[in-house]
Amino acid sequence: MLDASLESPENFAAIKGWFAHPLCQITIWASLAALAYHVVAGIRHLMMDFGFGEDSFESGLTSARIVVLVSVAMIIFITAWIFLW
Amino acid sequence: MVTTVTSFGRSGLSDWLVQRVSAVVMTAYLIFIVGYLLLNSDVSYQQWAGLHSGLPMRMFSLLTMLSVAAHAWIGMWSVLTDYITVRTIGPKATAIRIFFQLGMIAMILVYLLWAIDILWGI
Repeated sequence: MLDASLESPENFAAIKGWFAHPLCQITIWASLAALAYHVVAGIRHLMMDFGFGEDSFESGLTSARIVVLVSVAMIIFITAWIFLW
Repeated sequence: MVTTVTSFGRSGLSDWLVQRVSAVVMTAYLIFIVGYLLLNSDVSYQQWAGLHSGLPMRMFSLLTMLSVAAHAWIGMWSVLTDYITVRTIGPKATAIRIFFQLGMIAMILVYLLWAIDILWGI
């Protein structure tokens, strides 16, 4: 997509057209939703590497719950961005 | 330690660090691109091509693609050496795992070379 979008104005317009197609939207939605969760969980991992919230089972459970909540919020935003914008 | 022959940095500690540095690079790029697209939701071809033709942006994009390549290599290595083992799927596991690992590495290298071609071909 990046290749085509940078090749010519015509191809750029064609790629923009794809984004209107439901199949393309669902594929991008699924990719971005998975990426959002991966990034949020990755940030939790990094914070634990720096020593935050890795002291007890309870703090691990709390941060895991926060990851799920933040991911759900981001996926709601992604859904709005793709389907309602 | 047969499993380390297909790892990224040939050392667990090196892979550990590369995995984290590449994660930070990709997160910065993601925030930048999402921010750019939110602020320019009706981006034109001229704007988009202009953004990607500057040297700093090309370097940022390529740095991110190198991070994706390293991150995927290390991540897939971790998953494959965890789950495709003699203990989990039987005696053919090593051959199967090497097949998947080499295929995965080939794909990563193709993506990387393709990205370089895209970024320097504008």
